[in-house]
Amino acid sequence: MAGIKLSAVKKIYPGAAEPAVKGVDLDIQDGEFVVLVGPSGCGKSTLLRMIAGLETVSDGEIAIGDKVVNQMEPAERDIAMVFQNYALYPHMSVRQNMSYGLKNRKMPKAEIARRIDEAAAVLEITPYLDRKPRALSGGQRQRVAMGRAIVRDPAAFLFDEPLSNLDAKLRLHMRGEIKQLHQRLKTTSVYVTHDQLEAMTLADRLVVLNHGRIEQVGRPLDLYRRPASTFVAGFLGAPAMNLIEAEVSGGALMLAGTALARGLQAEAGRVTAGIRPEALRLRPAPGGNFRLDYVEELGGSRIVHGHIGAQRIIAQTDLAQELSAEMHAELPLEELHLFHATEGHRLSMGVSQPAAADPQLVGA
Amino acid sequence: MQTKRTTFRSWWLPYLLVAPQLAITLVFFIWPAGQAVYQSFLREDPFGLSTTWVGLRNYIRLFDSAEYLASFETTVIFTVCTATLSMGLSLLLAVAVDRMIRTASVYTTLVVWPYAVAPAIAGILWWFMFNPSFGILTYVLEMVGYDWNHRLNGEDAMTLVVLASAWKQISYNFLFFVAGLQSIPMSLREAAAIDGAGPVKRFFTVVFPLLSPTTFFLLVVNINYTMFDTFSTIDASTAGGPGQATTILVYKVYEDGVKGLNLGSSAAQSVILMSIVIALTFIQFRFIERRVQY
Ligand SMILES: Nc1ncnc2c1ncn2[C@@H]1O[C@H](COP(=O)(O)OP(=O)(O)O)[C@@H](O)[C@H]1O
Ligand SMILES: [Mg+2]
Repeated sequence: MAGIKLSAVKKIYPGAAEPAVKGVDLDIQDGEFVVLVGPSGCGKSTLLRMIAGLETVSDGEIAIGDKVVNQMEPAERDIAMVFQNYALYPHMSVRQNMSYGLKNRKMPKAEIARRIDEAAAVLEITPYLDRKPRALSGGQRQRVAMGRAIVRDPAAFLFDEPLSNLDAKLRLHMRGEIKQLHQRLKTTSVYVTHDQLEAMTLADRLVVLNHGRIEQVGRPLDLYRRPASTFVAGFLGAPAMNLIEAEVSGGALMLAGTALARGLQAEAGRVTAGIRPEALRLRPAPGGNFRLDYVEELGGSRIVHGHIGAQRIIAQTDLAQELSAEMHAELPLEELHLFHATEGHRLSMGVSQPAAADPQLVGA
Repeated sequence: MQTKRTTFRSWWLPYLLVAPQLAITLVFFIWPAGQAVYQSFLREDPFGLSTTWVGLRNYIRLFDSAEYLASFETTVIFTVCTATLSMGLSLLLAVAVDRMIRTASVYTTLVVWPYAVAPAIAGILWWFMFNPSFGILTYVLEMVGYDWNHRLNGEDAMTLVVLASAWKQISYNFLFFVAGLQSIPMSLREAAAIDGAGPVKRFFTVVFPLLSPTTFFLLVVNINYTMFDTFSTIDASTAGGPGQATTILVYKVYEDGVKGLNLGSSAAQSVILMSIVIALTFIQFRFIERRVQY
């Protein structure tokens, strides 16, 4: 096991107008589960593939453990990778798929068999060991791909969107399994996904990428509670945070002539206000600032679509919430996020916002 | 709603439209094939004056004839050498192109050229280069101490026809191999690289097995090609000689029938060849049905 250290890593594809990765610094601790998340095309895969050695590093340095690996072949880096399409060898049985990497490394037969049996038991794929990949379901293939990585017992696991070919239910299930597996093996893992929910739930530490740059790094809840920019704010959370154009004046957040929140200690002027849908407090009030457009039922809660002035806003409410065509919307000050109106970075409001607390297990 | 079925206004129009194709097949394939089968049971004197029904005797005689069996052996050697050489080289070229597919279009065009060359021209081209008196390759060989003469030396002659035939077929094989390689997902090779397999091992344990449907298809096509389509290449370069050194089965059909006017025997040989083609085609179709076997 080992940590991974990226220093000013850049990638310029030949013939590309813009670098795909524009100088990334990241220090991944030994045993940490780091998720790289961002919209499609932001350079997540490129970054991961550079760590794996499948792409050359245009500039900067990548170290795994205490060795700089820039010039090393993928095989020498002691990493295992799980691909989006699983990349199982179709002409080999599950057992052969899992033993291929070990045989190439001249591991004794008995040890190979022991490791495969162990991994197969953990992943519950023992009954399929002699099948070819084409005779397996998507979820089973996914497990085999994980098994192939596990038996190697590498310094780090690299995952490139490993769940995106599965249906929603299976994705949820496998997400849980990956989390458990990491708790058990404690192997350093770098996981790429464009799915913010997957990212939030899996990560020890989340790295949000945008256009080849790191937008913010931190624990998932910290990022959720204190997004450093409108990009992170809009990317994390579903339904997404409302980002609306508003104005700070006289210590109040003014929107369409009404105050949405009071007691701000922020500079007056135009801002982008970030409001989580679940943070908005609504109460029926004739002539209120919030006009209801329509409601989506989620079963356990509702998503209320409406507008204040000309700007669309969504709120997430529980089922007990009374609704009417005109409502009064308000926001507790500590739930408000302010961002620079044009640059998009977070603005201080002089209000201390609580940092995320770790989940406490009672009796654990 | 549009249906797949096209309706013709007059009943005779569809027949008229397929008639040329049917006529060609009938006149140039079915009829001569039938003639050959019929003829293979007859013995006819060269002037066509007398014809006797001899049953299977033409066939029996063929399998007793040392010359015919030698021609069989020549064909096997020729086929194996040509197919191996041509497929091996084209696979090598295809792998090279596959590594740089974006910049490869010029290269691909060059490799595909020989396919556009008529077989007889290919024969003459190589015959020129290996001409014992003025061929450039003969000259080069002489400098390294080899006295090339395909007019006297049977092995030289065989080498010449193998080279000429293999060269012509490289383009075809190459295109199929490139397509086959492109259809193998990059991530498989990457997974193998991470799994500690070097480029050569990767090729033999992952790429080549996954290419086997293409390879098998090409093998059948190449056997067909070497057994039949190389006629003009051979005719233009060695004319089957020296002696019988490059007289493969098709060439013998021509020699015995057209030159030797031994029509019955020649017809029997054609029938044997025809059954070989049918067998090959059968194998190929059977295999293609199940080609996703890995
Ligand atoms: N092999 C390549 N050659 C050229 N450009 C590439 C290549 N792979 C990716 N890119 C470009 O680099 C950028 C980042 O791609 P990628 O890392 O795959 O994004 P992500 O995985 O975040 O969706 C994209 O703009 C993409 O078009
Ligand atoms: Mg990607």
